[in-house]
Amino acid sequence: MVELVKLLEQGIELARDGERPDLCGRLEQTRQRLLDPSIRVIVVGEFKQGKSQLINALINAPVCPVDDDIATSVPTVVRYGNPPSAVILIPKDSANAGEEPVLERKQITLEELPSYVSERGNPDNSRRLMAAEVFLPRKILASGLSLVDSPGVGGLDSTHSLTTFSTLPTADAMLLVSDASQEYTEPEIQFLRQALRVSPNVACVLSKTDLYPQWRQVAELDRSHLDRVRADIRLFPVSSDVRLSAARLGDAELNTESGFPELVTYLRTEIVGKAERLQSRSVAQDLVSVTEHLSLSLQSELRALENPDGTPQLIVELEAAKEKADELRQRSARWQITLNDGMSDLIADMDHDLRERMRSIQREAEAAIDAGDPGPMWKQLVDWLEQRVAAGVSDTFVWTNERAQWLSGEVASLFAHDDVALPVLRVDDTTGVLDPVEVMPALDPGTLGMMQKILIGARGSYGGVLMVGLVTGIVGMSLINPFSLAAGVLIGGKAFRDDKEARLQRRRAEAKQLVRRQIDDVIFQTGKQLKDRLRFVQRATRDHFTGIADEHHRSLADSVLAAQKAANSFTQERAHRIAEIKVELKRVAALRNQAPSIADKQPMRATSA
Amino acid sequence: MSDATSVAVVELLREAIAVYADDPVGRGMLETYARRQEEPLRIAIAGMAKAGKSTLLNAILGEEIAPTDTAECTKIVTWYRYADTPRVTLHPVEGEPENLPVRRIDGRLLLDVGNANAEEVDRLVVDWPSKSLRHITLIDTPGMASASGDVSARSVRFLTPEDAPSEADAIVYLLRHMHASDLQFLESFRDTTAGHSGTVNALAVLSRADEIGAGRIDSLLSARVIAERYRHDDRLRALTLGVVPVAGLLAQSARSLRESEYTALVELAKLERAERERLLVSVDRFARSSQPPDVSPEMRTVLLDRFGLFGIRLATALLRGGIADSTALAHELARRSGLDELLELINGQFHSRAAALKARAALVAVESLLRERPRTGTGALSASLERIQASAHEFREMRLLATARTAGSILSAELTEEAERIVGGSGVDLPHRLGLPDSATEDELRGRALENLRRWRSQAENPLTDRASADVCRIVVRSCEAAVAGIAARSGRGAAVRPLLRPEPGAGSREHADDERDDAEHELRGQ
Repeated sequence: MVELVKLLEQGIELARDGERPDLCGRLEQTRQRLLDPSIRVIVVGEFKQGKSQLINALINAPVCPVDDDIATSVPTVVRYGNPPSAVILIPKDSANAGEEPVLERKQITLEELPSYVSERGNPDNSRRLMAAEVFLPRKILASGLSLVDSPGVGGLDSTHSLTTFSTLPTADAMLLVSDASQEYTEPEIQFLRQALRVSPNVACVLSKTDLYPQWRQVAELDRSHLDRVRADIRLFPVSSDVRLSAARLGDAELNTESGFPELVTYLRTEIVGKAERLQSRSVAQDLVSVTEHLSLSLQSELRALENPDGTPQLIVELEAAKEKADELRQRSARWQITLNDGMSDLIADMDHDLRERMRSIQREAEAAIDAGDPGPMWKQLVDWLEQRVAAGVSDTFVWTNERAQWLSGEVASLFAHDDVALPVLRVDDTTGVLDPVEVMPALDPGTLGMMQKILIGARGSYGGVLMVGLVTGIVGMSLINPFSLAAGVLIGGKAFRDDKEARLQRRRAEAKQLVRRQIDDVIFQTGKQLKDRLRFVQRATRDHFTGIADEHHRSLADSVLAAQKAANSFTQERAHRIAEIKVELKRVAALRNQAPSIADKQPMRATSA
Repeated sequence: MSDATSVAVVELLREAIAVYADDPVGRGMLETYARRQEEPLRIAIAGMAKAGKSTLLNAILGEEIAPTDTAECTKIVTWYRYADTPRVTLHPVEGEPENLPVRRIDGRLLLDVGNANAEEVDRLVVDWPSKSLRHITLIDTPGMASASGDVSARSVRFLTPEDAPSEADAIVYLLRHMHASDLQFLESFRDTTAGHSGTVNALAVLSRADEIGAGRIDSLLSARVIAERYRHDDRLRALTLGVVPVAGLLAQSARSLRESEYTALVELAKLERAERERLLVSVDRFARSSQPPDVSPEMRTVLLDRFGLFGIRLATALLRGGIADSTALAHELARRSGLDELLELINGQFHSRAAALKARAALVAVESLLRERPRTGTGALSASLERIQASAHEFREMRLLATARTAGSILSAELTEEAERIVGGSGVDLPHRLGLPDSATEDELRGRALENLRRWRSQAENPLTDRASADVCRIVVRSCEAAVAGIAARSGRGAAVRPLLRPEPGAGSREHADDERDDAEHELRGQ
């Protein structure tokens, strides 16, 4: 890591000497990324599978609260830090709708942590925490690894699984925990499939092997399920309790038995190692491309100096290349057109996709309202609607992300150079997307007080009494007589029944109206967000590729200038300059050779965010 | 269930069969229901995959006949019925039922469907001479949310068919933790059966309770706390009559504790506590260790398979606590497993309502038949259907209970609680209805019943009570009256009504237990 930073600093110096602030800036960015390594590994699974205990066992400290009943209610991040400390992140209320919510960090002691993150101390996250962070001085965390304990998914509150999903894109790897009591269930497999779309590094952990004699058989069954999903997913049978008692007793053999050494090795070599490899590869790529840019103008100048007769020819060639590079910068360049067209297609598609999803939810909601009385079941209906909407929106965003990545790949393929770096895009994070959507208003539950009932009945019976009373008045009876009263009761009853039916109809209509308005609001607000993000993607992609085109153009322009300058220079200066350039070229070449050879020629993927 | 209603339902079915004599489909269906009136109550055991359904079934039977395995085992709906001789019959979706050979490995049945595809098998029927099956038919179902989707689909299709009332009269639903799919299923079960007739007929079991606390010795206490929380959870309350924690494996093994296992457990109990804890750190350690030397590796595997770490911990703790013989140990283990509580709940909630539950299924069937295959001459049928539904007090009780649980009652909270209890929300025998302990004397019962009756009557007649509430009160009053009458009947006979399905005592007193049961049944019929 230190070597990489040193190399980058050399590169920055070279670029500064070569008067190329653009290349300088690029390397500076890379250096910043390198100095703040964070490799997030998120631990997910259904509730009660031993996720928190797994983290406790990994770091050998009881930081995440465990309980026989459902325990974790807030995502907890465990990362390196000395001395040990903990903070909680609370969203500030003052944040305006639509803006990124401002987070307040509050220092707490490690002992207080359970009262904030556990279901017992903070049921259903009623304290509205975003997350908690724990800092511990542990060797395993020193390389930038941070472990995220998530609330269990698949429970009743699918809000939990949505929070988990929205944090997945920011993670470098995921550990899916399932205990050894049984093989994978359908929801787990489904979760795995969904997660694989968002995060490519997934490993599975079979927990609690100390408790189940048949864990080997379960592991085999799980293996076969995993093979059906994707064959290269690793499976680690572990026992957190055994590891913790091994640490307590200082028993190395027991520790081996717990299965943890393998998991730790995996995290070290595969996850941390891979992230580091990825990083060094991207550093190497940056260095190579910067040194190439630098050496291009130097070489042209050298050639012009050494071979003055060929200079006009060289300048013509360089001019032609510059022309070509200039084309890439034009708005009419093919990649620009592809990007613009692709993006308008994408916006239209996503808008349609969102509307389609919302409409089907609305249709289902309306069918449910028609099937019964929406009054008493309104709260359930609202819950259901919110869950479905959140799930639908999340799906749309994940798909949007996939399509955006694909599009930038398409654009990159239009560049002549091989190995064009792709922009880092992340638009599938749905945190806060639904915040501006208003809360569903309450619906009249349809229960009537005594007074109202009497009034409705009286209103109906009044007409009956009057009508029949007047008719019987002809035969000399008084207005209030048994016949008119009977008619009053009859018509009053009918009026009451009619009124009940009418009220039910009204409630249904009102409920549908509310659902429609809600869906409309969701489409309006998320549609705006979706379009904003896609515009952002468009701008980011454009800037990214324009930057590359600019660099290229600048290098060629410099080369032309240098060659022209060389042609005009005097002989005595020439020898001097040749020597100077040779020295410079040697430095550049040395840096280039130092940059570790790039292992495979695959284009860089944006995996670390 | 009053005799009158039973008779009326049988009569209704007979009339309906006569009307639909020339319609083979309708007639076939009606005849099935007519037969069902005579048969024992059908209780389905359902739950997510690997919730421990077959294990619990074995525990209830007190005999390990249903096959269980680490992998998903039950893939076909399997019925366990009483018969004098063991027999296994395979009912394919199409074609004639065929007999399968009865083969047992280690006591468990080998249910091999041969070359038939699980898709093509409608059900397996196991006839078994088990006393526990005399009064109920148990139905073992494949797990929901199984990774092989078609297995789950078979279960859902069986329990919640789209166009007919469910074939099961009641359901014991196993859950390990309340999962979204559990609620979803229970909701759809209610929608298909109870939706038509308005009843709650499911019991929830917090299964594998020993594993909740990671096999610690206090696991069952934890499980009890969690069950208590679920019991008060509105979502689950609306769907089930109660929640009990059961350690199925322990219950199953305790009822068939072998002498050799007992000896091994005694050996283990002789170890020092610290040493024993070290031994029980993990299953692998336990299986590999050579301490104590008298317990063979084979026996260790057997113990782990049959009792689990929790069972071994509990048994050794009990042995050290002074239990001195295998029968006492078996009893104590079974008692702690929570099985007794479940059996009492099944007995209180389902068995004593058996006739009503069966009759209700028949009424729903007739109703849907009348709606879907209308024909001339059904006017009289509809009329008697109405009459039975309106007049049977049991139905009204069940309906009241269901609405109170699902939609919320119109009465005040404490009145609702009492009303639910009186109409049999926590059990239909007298002490439960009256909120007294089982040991209450006749006078106490009578005193409480009369007091309730007076209070509810005045509530019903209070002019300030609105009509809907008054209706509810009248149903409660009727239940109170029945309670008072029941006490009179009891004292007249001088014999107590005993629960029908009791936790079976260990070997020895079975014959006696069975006699008691028959007596009790006669009494119920006599009422």
